[in-house]
Amino acid sequence: MWALEQPCPERPAPLLADTPAALLAALGGAALVVAALVAGGWLPGAALAVTGVAAGHGALLATALAWALGGRTLPGAVVVSLLAPAALAARSHPLGLVAYAGPPLWVARLAARGQLGALGLGDRVPVRRVAEGAALGALLGGHLLVSASLTLGVGIAARPAGEFLGALAYDAGANVLAAECFFRGALFGRAQRRWSAAAAAAVSTAAYVLRYLVDPLLPKGVELLVGAVFYLSCLGAVNCWLLRRSGSLLPGLASALGFFAAWRLLDAP
Amino acid sequence: MRTLTGPAVATGVAAALAAVTALVALDDAGPAALARHAYLVPVAAAALRFGVLGGGFAAAGAGLLMAPVVLPEIERAGLTTEAIEGLVSLAGLAAFGTLVGAATTRARREVARYEALVAVRRAVAGAASLDAALGRLRAALARRLGADVALVAREGAGTLVAGGAGVAPGSAVARVLATGRPLFVADAGGGPRPRRAFVTPLVAEAAVIGALAVERAGELGRGERAAIEALGAHVGVALENARLAARQRRFAEELAEKVAGATARLAEIDRAKSAFVAIASHELRTPLTALQGFSELLALRRVAPEEVARFGRIMHGEARRLGRIVSDLLDLSRIEQGLAPALRRTTVDVPALVADVVEVLRRAAPAHPIEVDCPPGLPPLDADPDALERVLTNLVGNAVKYSPPGSLVSVRARRRGAGVALAVEDRGRGIPAAALGRVFEPYYRAPDAVPAARGAGIGLAVVKALVEAHGGTVYLESAPGVGTAVTVVLPGVSPA
Repeated sequence: MWALEQPCPERPAPLLADTPAALLAALGGAALVVAALVAGGWLPGAALAVTGVAAGHGALLATALAWALGGRTLPGAVVVSLLAPAALAARSHPLGLVAYAGPPLWVARLAARGQLGALGLGDRVPVRRVAEGAALGALLGGHLLVSASLTLGVGIAARPAGEFLGALAYDAGANVLAAECFFRGALFGRAQRRWSAAAAAAVSTAAYVLRYLVDPLLPKGVELLVGAVFYLSCLGAVNCWLLRRSGSLLPGLASALGFFAAWRLLDAP
Repeated sequence: MRTLTGPAVATGVAAALAAVTALVALDDAGPAALARHAYLVPVAAAALRFGVLGGGFAAAGAGLLMAPVVLPEIERAGLTTEAIEGLVSLAGLAAFGTLVGAATTRARREVARYEALVAVRRAVAGAASLDAALGRLRAALARRLGADVALVAREGAGTLVAGGAGVAPGSAVARVLATGRPLFVADAGGGPRPRRAFVTPLVAEAAVIGALAVERAGELGRGERAAIEALGAHVGVALENARLAARQRRFAEELAEKVAGATARLAEIDRAKSAFVAIASHELRTPLTALQGFSELLALRRVAPEEVARFGRIMHGEARRLGRIVSDLLDLSRIEQGLAPALRRTTVDVPALVADVVEVLRRAAPAHPIEVDCPPGLPPLDADPDALERVLTNLVGNAVKYSPPGSLVSVRARRRGAGVALAVEDRGRGIPAAALGRVFEPYYRAPDAVPAARGAGIGLAVVKALVEAHGGTVYLESAPGVGTAVTVVLPGVSPA
């Protein structure tokens, strides 16, 4: 038993230990510089979008990887270097969305080597739990579509397939991957080693919702914001439960992908 | 409700929620549909089966399912009466599910707590040792708590551990044993689902007697930790009772052993005394009979002068023998009262004493050659000559008695420091090793000595008492079939 055999630490390591501060500072600095250049007209607006994807999602992914790998920064830097060209390629060419496969493949490679166990990513795929997660995500997403339709009169958007697939690729390669790896795998995983699972889920979900509230891509409007907060809170709490129950991040990833697929179908402004 | 499995109840609740939702959706009354009250049934079922979490999730599910009916009404017509009724129903469901679930959880905890107390009592009842009590307690608690459990109990300078190999220095249990305060560790290893560890001290009579450690991959909430801490108090008392009961049992067993031993010893002494009385009577009667016989002859007949002298010598010898027997009996009596024999000390010349004693014994046992080895220059002894004569007579008499006729008996004296060591050796039957430790006990005779020769079993006891009264020592070496050597070491005259 641990209590008999292992030395008892005086206090746990700080919650933010192993954060790659230098990399985050560099990403923040790069985003600010690009923003200034775009504002000054030296760069097109798309540059800011690309930088935003690379810096924003890259920061979350790099932090999650650093926390899992004992502070190592290089894997995070690699994932940032995969996100930037992926965002650029997706905007430049319809087939460029394939580049969004890079970050998930890099994360899968690290997981296959057994390096991301702390995030709930191992070499084993719990198929049944993933199916359960996908079903829960689809249920939540379906409820979103029904509620939005009945409450706000927002229907399903008639988007081109390429645009929808591009949005899905973005979710799979950047949005959902970064959010689940950081907010569930890293933050919830660490928080529940300090506090109760309920408190950890509350902290993780609150941070998750805040991330989307500050996202410039989130539709504006009070009803949409309230709805977003509600559904993202449900999604965050459910994914914390899925991670805790299965021990794997994959069911939560499937759940979030299912939900965001429904979200992308909404004809929201 | 307990007999239905969790998944079955969850499926039933989900189906009931869907059915009620369908009824509400089909009702034209919208949020105020009567069917909405039916949500209480699956929510109550979930609360009673799964506790506060089940009630909360079921209420949240009912809320999610009812929201598409209530929210559009609010969006369309604002906060109408129907919309308010719908919102109140949602709030009521949440409160109902949570409260019923919380009450169910609390009731189950109380039941579990009492069952755990009963299990603790049963586990230690009748345990033969503290080790056994610890093992049974640990198994019972692990079953009750659904967790990994270890119990540690202090036993003397060490610890007994059930559920582990030992207590490592610096571990959570070691810390609790040192501080006497409970310790909760939120991260005790484990993967994505961390293990929680809670260690509480076991206290009895204001002293920390051990620790109870509980580990689980899952939650160990504040309420459960408080319950474990309270359980620890009972476990501490139960363990202390088990320890005292084990000690009492050991004490009772030891006492029974000692009583049995003492009873056996008393019976043996009683038998020995009875045998002694019989033998002593015979020993006394023999010289008395001789004295009586010879004195009658002298009184009733005319005896030639040379016969008178011979009868006188015989009567003197028998009287001396009678005197020695009486002196031995008196000394034995003093030994049994814990008193030292009475001595009249004077300066004694060892070679002369040895020569006198050996001369008498040679006449009494002409079949045994007795060799004397007393070199000149032996220091004089400050001793009672009569006591020393009785010591030598007993030792040489035993050597003659327990060796075959014709075998040599040696009497040797040597200087030992300022005193003298007197050794009497024979080549007789020897004494078995098992009896060597008891030969100096009063009334004791080695088992194989009883048929070999008559004796009261007091000679060596008297020898030992007389030698020790002089401040000396006596020890015996013997080997069956080889012979026996008894050595008496006596101190010399102290310098003035």
